[in-house]
Amino acid sequence: MSVGYAAIQWSKPKRRYDLIVGLAIIAYIGTFMLVSKMLWTGASAISDEVLILRALGSCGFILLHIILCIGPLARFDPRWLPVLFNRRHLGVMTFFIALAHGVIAIGYYHGFGTINPLVSLLTSNTEFASVQAFPYQLLGVVALIVLFLLAATSHDFWNKNLSAATWKRLHMSVYGAYVLLVAHVALGALQNDRGLLGPIATVLGVCTVGVLHLLAAWRERNRDLSSPTSSVAGEEWIDVGTPAEIPDDRARTVCAPGGERIAIFKHNGRISAVTNVCAHQGGPLGEGAIIDGCITCPWHGWQYKPQDGCAPPPFQEKVATYRVRISAGRVQVNARALPPGTPTDPVSARSEAANV
Amino acid sequence: MQTLAELSLLALLAYTLVGVAFGIAFVLRGVSVIDPAASTAGLGFKLTILPGCAALWPLLLVKWLRPKRSLRAGP
Ligand code: HEM
Ligand code: FES
Repeated sequence: MSVGYAAIQWSKPKRRYDLIVGLAIIAYIGTFMLVSKMLWTGASAISDEVLILRALGSCGFILLHIILCIGPLARFDPRWLPVLFNRRHLGVMTFFIALAHGVIAIGYYHGFGTINPLVSLLTSNTEFASVQAFPYQLLGVVALIVLFLLAATSHDFWNKNLSAATWKRLHMSVYGAYVLLVAHVALGALQNDRGLLGPIATVLGVCTVGVLHLLAAWRERNRDLSSPTSSVAGEEWIDVGTPAEIPDDRARTVCAPGGERIAIFKHNGRISAVTNVCAHQGGPLGEGAIIDGCITCPWHGWQYKPQDGCAPPPFQEKVATYRVRISAGRVQVNARALPPGTPTDPVSARSEAANV
Repeated sequence: MQTLAELSLLALLAYTLVGVAFGIAFVLRGVSVIDPAASTAGLGFKLTILPGCAALWPLLLVKWLRPKRSLRAGP
C-alpha cells in the first residue's frame, strides 16, 4: 500500500517464501544436470553448456506454468493464496532464469563466429516459411523481451503511474509470451530431437493451464447467474443466502444487476459488504480473508476495514461499501454502491435469524 | 538482411543508451515530480525502477514535461 516506496516489499513470510523458491530453483537445476549426466554417458554425453542451457530453459518454463496456474488454483482452494501474494516475485525470478538461458544460448550457438552474436541470432536462420526449420530462437527472444517488460514494471510505482488499467493490460501479455514459448519449446524440440520427455511434459503443461482457466471461468459464470434480486420501492436488494452460508472471516460474492460484483463478509458474527474490486489492481476481495480485522486482498494483501471500506491508518485507500440487511432470515445486500469509504452498520448474523 | 539486422540492433542500442541516460536523470529528479510518494524513497527503489525507466523513457519524458494540474483546482 502506498506510503512512500521501498525497493522490494519484503515481509517476513515473503522472505521465507523467496528463500524456499530460490533453494528449489537451485535444487532443480542441480538435479537436472546430475540426472542428465547419468542418463547420457559415453558417446551420447551432452556438453555442460547445453545441459545448463536446458536446465535453465525448462526451469523458467516450469516457473511460468506455476505463475499461470496460481490464479485459478487460488479460486478453488484458498490455501494457494500465500503463493498468489508472491506471484510478482516469482515473475521477476522467472525473468532472470530465462535471461541466463538466453545469454548462454546466444553465447554458445552464436558466439564463436566472426559476426556479432546478436546479428547472427537475427540472421543465421530465416526459414520463416518452414515449420521444420523455423527460427524458434527468435520466438524465445520476443518472449524474453515481454518477460523483461513485465519484470521491469512489476513495482507498485508502475501500477500507479502507468494507471492500473494500462498496467493490467501490459501484464496480460504474459499469455502472449506463454504462447510464444510453447512454440519455442515445441519447434526447438522438433529441430534438436532430444527425446519425448520434453514434448510430453509440455503438452501436459499446456493442458493444465488451459483446463484450470476454463474451470475457473465456468465457476465464475455460474456464481453470477445465481443471485435472485427483489426490488421494492425502486430499491434493489440482492439475496446472499442465510448468515450461516457465509463462512467466518471470509466472503460470499454476488453480482449486482449492472454486473459489478459485491463481496459480503462475516467477521465476529457481523455481516458487511464492500465491492469485490480491490483499489490496487482490481483483485477479487471476495476471494480474500479477514486478517487482523481487515479484509485482505488475495492478490497483494492490501487491507480494508469491513465496516467502512477504508484501509487501516496510515494508509488512505478506500473501496465502495454496500448496505446489508437481514430479511426473513436471509442476508440481502443493496445493489447500489455507496461512495468509497462510506461507513455502514454491519448487521448481526444472529439478531434476525432468532425471530424467524 | 544482414545490414537490416545491424541497423535494427544499432537503433536498439541507441534507444537503450538514451534510455539509461534519461533513466538516471529521471530517478534522481523527475520521479518525484510525477509521483510525490517517490520523493522519500531510497536508492534501492530508484535502482529497482531504473530498468523500466530506461525501457519506457519516451512515456515518462512526456509525463515529466507535461505541466501539472494545480492541486487546488476543483474536480
Ligand atoms: C534470447 C532468447 C532465447 C534464446 C536465444 C533461446 C535459445 C534456445 C535454444 C538454442 C534452445 C535449444 C537448446 C538445446 O536443446 O540445444 C532452447 C530451448 C528451450 N528454451 Fe530457449 N531461448 C530463449 C528464450 C527462452 C525463454 C524466455 C524461455 C522461457 C522461460 C525459454 C525456454 C526454453 C525451454 C523450456 C527449452 C527446451 C529445453 C529442453 O529441451 O530441455 N527460452 N532455447
Ligand atoms: S492488493 Fe493488489 S489487487 Fe488487491
